[in-house]
Amino acid sequence: MSARTLNPDLGFVKDVISSGGESLKKCYQCATCSVVCNMTPDANPFPRKEMIQAQWGLKEQLFGNPDIWLCHQCSDCTAYCPRGAKPGEVLNAIRKMSIRRYSKPGFLAKMAGDPKSLIVLLAIPVVILLAILGSLGHLTSISNIPRGEDGSIVYAKWIPVPFIDATFGTAAAFALAVFIMGVRSYWKDLSSGLTPQQIAAKGGPFQNLAPVLSDILAHRKFEKCETTKDRAQAHKFVFYAFVGLAITTTWAILYLYGYELLGIKAFGPFHFGESPYPLTDPMKWLANVSALALIAGILMVISNRIKNKEKAGGGSYYDWLFILVVAGVAFTGFFSEIFRLINAAPVAYPTYFTHLVLVFFLFAYAPFSKMAHMVYRGTAMVYGKLSGRA
Amino acid sequence: MAQECILVIGGGISGLTVAVEAAEAGYDVCVVEKNPYLGGRVAQLNKYFPKLCPPLCGLEINYRRIKENPRVRFYTLAEVEKISAKGGSFDVSIKVNPRYVNDRCVACDACAQACPAEKPDDFNFGMSRTKAAYLPFDQAFPQQYVIDSKACKGDCGKKCQEACKYGAVDLGMKGETVNVSASAIVMATGWNPYEIARADNLGFGKVKNVINNMMMERLAAPNGPTGGKILRPSDGKEAKKVAFVQCAGSRDENHLPYCSYICCMASLKQTTYLKEQYPDATADIFYIDIRTPGKYEKFYWKVRDMEGVKLTKGKVARVEQAAGGDVKVVLEDILSGKKVEQTFDMVVLASGMEPSTRTKPVQLGITYTDEGLIVPSSLKPGIYAVGSAKSPVDVAKSMQDATGVALKSIQSVLAGGAK
Repeated sequence: MSARTLNPDLGFVKDVISSGGESLKKCYQCATCSVVCNMTPDANPFPRKEMIQAQWGLKEQLFGNPDIWLCHQCSDCTAYCPRGAKPGEVLNAIRKMSIRRYSKPGFLAKMAGDPKSLIVLLAIPVVILLAILGSLGHLTSISNIPRGEDGSIVYAKWIPVPFIDATFGTAAAFALAVFIMGVRSYWKDLSSGLTPQQIAAKGGPFQNLAPVLSDILAHRKFEKCETTKDRAQAHKFVFYAFVGLAITTTWAILYLYGYELLGIKAFGPFHFGESPYPLTDPMKWLANVSALALIAGILMVISNRIKNKEKAGGGSYYDWLFILVVAGVAFTGFFSEIFRLINAAPVAYPTYFTHLVLVFFLFAYAPFSKMAHMVYRGTAMVYGKLSGRA
Repeated sequence: MAQECILVIGGGISGLTVAVEAAEAGYDVCVVEKNPYLGGRVAQLNKYFPKLCPPLCGLEINYRRIKENPRVRFYTLAEVEKISAKGGSFDVSIKVNPRYVNDRCVACDACAQACPAEKPDDFNFGMSRTKAAYLPFDQAFPQQYVIDSKACKGDCGKKCQEACKYGAVDLGMKGETVNVSASAIVMATGWNPYEIARADNLGFGKVKNVINNMMMERLAAPNGPTGGKILRPSDGKEAKKVAFVQCAGSRDENHLPYCSYICCMASLKQTTYLKEQYPDATADIFYIDIRTPGKYEKFYWKVRDMEGVKLTKGKVARVEQAAGGDVKVVLEDILSGKKVEQTFDMVVLASGMEPSTRTKPVQLGITYTDEGLIVPSSLKPGIYAVGSAKSPVDVAKSMQDATGVALKSIQSVLAGGAK
């Protein structure tokens, strides 16, 4: 047996504890967790080994391993843990630290997990949007805001679409760039034990993507949870709501630019041109149904979290911030539309403004917030498929 | 005036030890026991660890000491109903339930043979049945049958009565209340096997041939349901491939947060039962840590090195039915880092000790832990706790403790009661 040097990092241990894994040290390595977990493979099962790696500060072993993300935090481990060591919560804390490690710049990830930084993170979109509105002279009084021909509220006349697209397009591009770099560096760590030939022999990342997407779309992994059975349902709602909203957003861009730049004519029930779109438009139906699904889904998420608090743990600031931002996006979006339709200008504009701030928050900080789970977990699942662990 | 005595609540090994030690030093003792016999959990054991001798021989010495000593009065089928402090002592009412068999009984078994009704045999944890007129076990003390009125209905009792040549069956027997004045009270309330069915992943009560460690004692005991043959309950097959699941409910904050102290030794001891009966048997002990305190370490080494004995570090956290009545256990073998499934003829859950005061606390201003253990520092003057009422403990330590408590009780009497 060759000698192996372990490099315990005590700072890392403290970080895990302060990131929501305060129960870490209670683990006494009985391995109940690995047995009750329905997600883990039989060889080198998790999360028992992660618990001792975290206790010993062996962060390289934790990060260069898909297992922390193959965990879906069903909390079966936490429910059955004889010591209240809450492996589900500890792994959640480690995932948060993994996000901080791979999503650069690290200070943004640090801010995303720190309640004291919340005000700064919120201030950025607030300042940008206020600057836009101020420069347009649209902040002085409600009566100064241009209306539609029939006097109705038209948000696009308050903040014209090009400003929205420039702001949010930049935020999205930034997030995408961070994600691409993060995934590349995570993949490098994950696959450090394999030669490029070995990876290619297993089909490489792209060939393994399709079965992973299929698992994700069907929530096949999630469905294996027992203690928090209801989470699959709630997550499906939120997930498909976002899919629906992504489709409508993409379509909306096509609507606008297809009409403006390419002169594409409207066909069938579809409206082409500037927003708002009439309620008769099928794309509007999809958008509205998705919005309602998002509201329903996020309320289910919140209610499940409260219901399962005792068995599964209460979750950290990081979890709740993400949940509340999504809930905020859903509700402000919904009410922006309602207030617009009933022409309640004094509440409509502030609601829409809040909606934009929260959407910016969700997009721009996606690589640093819990939203990043979709990308890193997806990556880990692809590697898991490739290496036979998922 | 009510008789004066040291009141001992519980007639198990701790209570009996207090009773005989105090009585032989010249003090009156009253023992209150809820079962129809004395001896408690020890009476149910097949062998003691680490000497592997039968507990009944030690118990019989105690029975004889009690029989020969008029200073020990004992009440079986009895419970303390009320205690009130009065001056330096306690006024105690003891409720004695009717046995329906008086002391003319010679334990001839005629009533049981005639008795038409049956009931699960509690002494054997329901692994066998007994008549409603029964002797709890063959060496039971007192050697006196008892009729379970709940199981013996209609003309059942009459048949028993007719069968008895000695006029020992007394169906008109009434419960009575005995009042005593206690100058000291000893809580020797003992323990129950933890209700391990509460751990829904360990299969007890759902998966056939999953038993607890006290049931294993009964299976191996010559006076047990199988005459001492280790046969699995579902089909009577010889259990030659047996798993022991350690910490079943102990060291677990969802169940009993403490270590039950005796279970590792119990499983190691039961492994010797198995190997003695079936030399080709295998025993797999799945543990978190093997805890064999003090001198017991040597016993652990001895059993560990026996052929066919394998100890695996990893808690069994899933137990399922396999084909043919076998039982599958799932665990992570921590030292190899593999999740393993293994199938056994029978699985013994090393379930822990739960103080009987968890379900039946005695209200004496005593503070109990969440699990019902007595917090000794909360005991008022003149009240003492002994053995497993305070902490999970083995027989040897219970007896040492009991001897000390006997002295403390005597001191209370000499001081004129609780002051």
